[in-house]
Amino acid sequence: MTTSTTITTSSKTLTREEADAFGRELDELRREVAEDLGQRDVDHIRAVIKAANYAETAGRLLLAFGFGPVTFALGAGALGVSKILENMEIGHNVMHGQYDFARDPALSGRAYEWDNVCDGGDWRHSHNYEHHTFTNILGKDRDVGYGFLRVSEEQRWHPSHLAQPFTASLLAINFQWGVATHDLRLDELKRDPEARATIGTRARPFLEKAGWQLFKDYAFYPALSLWNAPRVLAGNLLANLGRNLWTFAVIFCGHFPEGVRVFHADEAANESRGQWYLRQIAGSANIEGGKWLHLLTGHLSHQIEHHLFPELPAARYPEMAPRVREICERHGQAYNTGSFAKQLGSVAKRLVKLALPSPRASRASRASRSAKVVAPETATTSTSTSRAAA
Amino acid sequence: MTNTSSLSSTGTHGTHASPVISRRRLVPRMARGLFLDRQLAFWRKELGLAPAGLTRARVVAVVKETADVRTFLLRPGAGWRRHQAGQWVSLEVEVDGVRLRRCYSLSSGPSDLFVSITVKRVPGGRVSGWLHDNVRVGDMLSIGPAMGEFVLPETGRSKPTPPTGLLLLSGGSGVTPVMSILRELEVRGPIEDVVFVHHARSRADVPFAADLAWIARRNPGLRVIIHCDDEGVRGFDEARFTEAVPDFARRETYLCGPAPMMVRVEETWLRAGATAKLRRERFAAPIVTRTQGDDEKLVQVRLSAAGRTVTAGGEGNLLEQLERAGLTPKFGCRIGICQTCKCRKTSGTVLDLISGAISSEPDEDIRLCTSVARSDLELGL
Ligand SMILES: Cc1cc2nc3c(=O)[nH]c(=O)nc-3n(C[C@H](O)[C@H](O)[C@H](O)COP(=O)(O)OP(=O)(O)OC[C@H]3O[C@@H](n4cnc5c(N)ncnc54)[C@H](O)[C@@H]3O)c2cc1C
Ligand code: FES
Repeated sequence: MTTSTTITTSSKTLTREEADAFGRELDELRREVAEDLGQRDVDHIRAVIKAANYAETAGRLLLAFGFGPVTFALGAGALGVSKILENMEIGHNVMHGQYDFARDPALSGRAYEWDNVCDGGDWRHSHNYEHHTFTNILGKDRDVGYGFLRVSEEQRWHPSHLAQPFTASLLAINFQWGVATHDLRLDELKRDPEARATIGTRARPFLEKAGWQLFKDYAFYPALSLWNAPRVLAGNLLANLGRNLWTFAVIFCGHFPEGVRVFHADEAANESRGQWYLRQIAGSANIEGGKWLHLLTGHLSHQIEHHLFPELPAARYPEMAPRVREICERHGQAYNTGSFAKQLGSVAKRLVKLALPSPRASRASRASRSAKVVAPETATTSTSTSRAAA
Repeated sequence: MTNTSSLSSTGTHGTHASPVISRRRLVPRMARGLFLDRQLAFWRKELGLAPAGLTRARVVAVVKETADVRTFLLRPGAGWRRHQAGQWVSLEVEVDGVRLRRCYSLSSGPSDLFVSITVKRVPGGRVSGWLHDNVRVGDMLSIGPAMGEFVLPETGRSKPTPPTGLLLLSGGSGVTPVMSILRELEVRGPIEDVVFVHHARSRADVPFAADLAWIARRNPGLRVIIHCDDEGVRGFDEARFTEAVPDFARRETYLCGPAPMMVRVEETWLRAGATAKLRRERFAAPIVTRTQGDDEKLVQVRLSAAGRTVTAGGEGNLLEQLERAGLTPKFGCRIGICQTCKCRKTSGTVLDLISGAISSEPDEDIRLCTSVARSDLELGL
């Protein structure tokens, strides 16, 4: 293929024993941070909850009682930022159980329900379980292209992929709906009668949640503001749109830039803890940036750390990242990181490139490796961003 | 109260609302659907109000009773309802970001100006240690409503007559609820034919010593006996006790003390055929901590939601053991990542295989797939 596939990564193939030695270092890091959890972490998440609540209230008041375009823009902006904070730093992370150690019912991973149309229970299944356990395994992690996008050469090309620059944009605009319907496996309805038979019951939590959400943003709050109802409705729509575009960008940068690997089920069979770690690193990419960027991404800008330690408070990832990177370097593992613009550009380029048919990366080249060993292979394509110690 | 949110959201996913939602359920459902419940809770906290179900109480004084016992006098705010002598409250504190709840008997009488708890510092104890080290006059503490059945029988309707022929029997920090009862008796009228027997390590370790002396001086009908470990036998000794209170079997007895003492008292009362007259208050369920070699041993797991008890044990983690016992707990990854198997542990001790931590904390969420039982358990399954 063309230009960008020429660079090879420097990830070393590790034996099971080497992988486990690598894993033990990460376990040690996990233990260190887990033991240090305390007031600082709880104070942080409460401060973010406070910011999100104040922003939401300010946004709703500005939309309802303001007039003119300036208060409209400010109101929609504040509401959008509040929704981003709530969905990313609060909702996503709390629902991972990251703050369960605090034993505060308001921070309980099992109880928390986030402010978007995706039902918390559905999410805990499709994301916490499927995506985090089977990260980037083709056919098992349904986050790989969400069943309709081709994000890796390893996925078989289909004529429908020709439209993917367009369908991906549609997904970006409606991202919360994509996330919300993900666990319903709508793509399986056509071929699986079992899926068709159960869709009614399976869809109920989603329908209920989505119903309340639509009612909240497009009926309840507009109605409360009487004559300003259209303005409030438009502001809420805009805030949701902003949140959708932002979360789409962050999530796509986390798993689909150049250099991120996908796996075949047989590669991940019987993998050890250390090998599971290797797969998480090879399947994730970080975004570099400042404190605010990290916060607004819910620290998913540290996708690699998040996939290694999904149950540790995400705000700890920035301080863990240099250690993870150093461990990766010593064990010869690529650590995929780059600026937001770079990673997003890479994702966009790939979505366009992979819309066209391309030879699937030959699996024969991987046959030399035992099916059980999981390690990023040297032949995988990558950009310079994925070079360890870039 | 505090767990309404957890009930509600599991409800959303697990059990589906019936098509016809009654009006009684519509309001909370709507509050939840629109996130108004959460916002209300947030703004209440911003305004310094107590979370639902708890009362905020200001610390008005801290009294050093003995070397390791302190009394905290509290002025509860709105929502507090007068307690009965002998009852306890649940106290919620946050120690280094972690919320902990402990029960403390109220040592004050119901008619006292302030409510008080009296806390003994347990070596290595998180809450008792924190209270001793951190709580100052002016601080706010969160307490639940007064609860418990360790109270005087209400004999009269409007003006209860003071009960006579009582025996108040305590050891260590178990003196707190009986002290509250004694204070109530004092208020109700001259105390008649009441014996107060307390067990302490030494004279210096007796809390409320001045109050006791004062009440005894004003009430000739009260006999106060203090048995000290350093003046003879350690703890409760039947011979010494029966010599001091030969008519114990006829007395309505209120007993509170360390577990070993309570066992010995119970034996004495059983032999005297007086068990029916013995009222007990326990501060701690005996915690059986199993050691590494005990892995094969079996434990009883009470499942509070299912309303039954199963025996678990043998190889593997709790998830596997419960499955072998015929249960089907929810699970996902089975390696501690996804949190699907998390469930509430109401009591008992577990070892977390990933962190290596052993925890006896009541009301905590544990991952079944990374936990092993170290005692009998009660789970919210
Ligand atoms: C109904 C009721 C009333 C109570 N009233 C009082 C009271 O009036 N005054 C009071 O001081 N306490 C009282 N307690 C006990 C209190 O609730 C706590 O258990 C105690 O303060 C220890 O908590 P901690 O967090 O400091 O210790 P933890 O951190 O929970 O425990 C630390 C260590 O101490 C051991 N331990 C825990 N509790 C005790 C205990 N009671 N005696 C000896 N070892 C223990 C634990 O096994 C553990 O090894 C009462 C308990 C109940 C159930
Ligand atoms: S089953 Fe996934 S954490 Fe236990």
